[in-house]
Amino acid sequence: MPNLRDIKQRIVSVQSTSQITRTMEMVATAKIKKAQERIESARPYAFAMMEVLQNVARYVQGASHPLLEEHPERQRIVVVTITSDRGLCGAFNSNILRITEELVRDEAAEGVSADIIAVGKKAIGYLRYRGIEPVAAYRDISDKPTFADARSIAASIIGRYGAGEIDAAYIVFNRFKNVAEQKAETYQLLPVERRVMESDGDENSLRAEYLFEPTAAEVLEHLLPTYVETLVYRALMESAASEHGARRTAMKSASDNASEMITTLTRSYNRARQAAITTEIAEIVGGAAALEEA
Amino acid sequence: MARTLLCEIVTPERIVYTNEVEMVIAPTLDGEIGILPLHAPLVTVLRAGELRVRYNDNKDVEWFAISGGYLQVHEDKVIVLADAAEHSSRVDVERARTAKEFAEQRMAEMKDKPLAEREGIDECEADLKWCEIQLQVAERRS
Repeated sequence: MPNLRDIKQRIVSVQSTSQITRTMEMVATAKIKKAQERIESARPYAFAMMEVLQNVARYVQGASHPLLEEHPERQRIVVVTITSDRGLCGAFNSNILRITEELVRDEAAEGVSADIIAVGKKAIGYLRYRGIEPVAAYRDISDKPTFADARSIAASIIGRYGAGEIDAAYIVFNRFKNVAEQKAETYQLLPVERRVMESDGDENSLRAEYLFEPTAAEVLEHLLPTYVETLVYRALMESAASEHGARRTAMKSASDNASEMITTLTRSYNRARQAAITTEIAEIVGGAAALEEA
Repeated sequence: MARTLLCEIVTPERIVYTNEVEMVIAPTLDGEIGILPLHAPLVTVLRAGELRVRYNDNKDVEWFAISGGYLQVHEDKVIVLADAAEHSSRVDVERARTAKEFAEQRMAEMKDKPLAEREGIDECEADLKWCEIQLQVAERRS
């Protein structure tokens, strides 16, 4: 028979935990909203950027640019891994790290070595524990990524790709589908896939004869690195929103489990108390009966 | 009422400005370019500098600091894609000054180093330039 006081203590401890998880759930809910707004406010720029890129691409037929060129041989790639700085968000980070490891392993099987750029303390910690030293590490940006952060990440891979040191670059991040759903995804950053530059439908608006200053090729040369930067920026922001979403889901199920546990514990507490009372009465009745007989 | 064009200044982080204006004057790589309504479709690269728009029969002018980017004109709509942009009245002068000093200091440190060790010098130079433009635009406040 479990001790009354032990059960009471467990109830209190579960209660205080559920208070924490419930608060974290509410905080995460508020943060998802902000993170979503940030994604929204980045949309006009991304749209306009795509429009300009497609316009330029039409004029530079068969455009050649170092960032568009596929390298004939793959020897070294870069993987940008985006995780969170804090835990308690379910499978958010483990999914990313699993995909990263698979990617690295698959490439290694083909004799390609992979450098990792780690974003978020979770990735840095995990990789170090595994004895992999990331070529670059960014911490404390995952909550509120800025364009400058994205730019600094993009700059290093663009530079190395241009110099021929690396032959491809991928980014692994959690795509924000909705508040309850995130999907870990791999996206190819470099070389820039040519199909993104092909215009989709709506030929009329694209018919206009554009002037380019200085020339279409030069505009493209400036535009492609910026395009890669916006891709990285977008991934960082989606990951931030996903992190809060994942945390909210994890904390919600933790709170639900806690209240379920409290119900069960309260029930066994009452049962134990009732049993104690019954035993006591039985003892008194037994004692009285013994006295009478005497 | 003079014919107008729609001017939109967007950065990756937000929309900085949208308004019907009569003229946009932007800093391109080869010098300033002025865009009036009915301009032919155009795409150009902007360098870091000052961008201004005129409206209200050319009486009102607003100034922006632009850290470089792109400009597209299409059917009386000007889209400015800037890496960073700030309206003259919203420049944080104190912060820009501190950042400028910091950047200058780093530049000075790097000057003494051999070429190979000057990592991040371009970035630093761009930072410095951006601070200078912000301060310059802040002076335009009326």
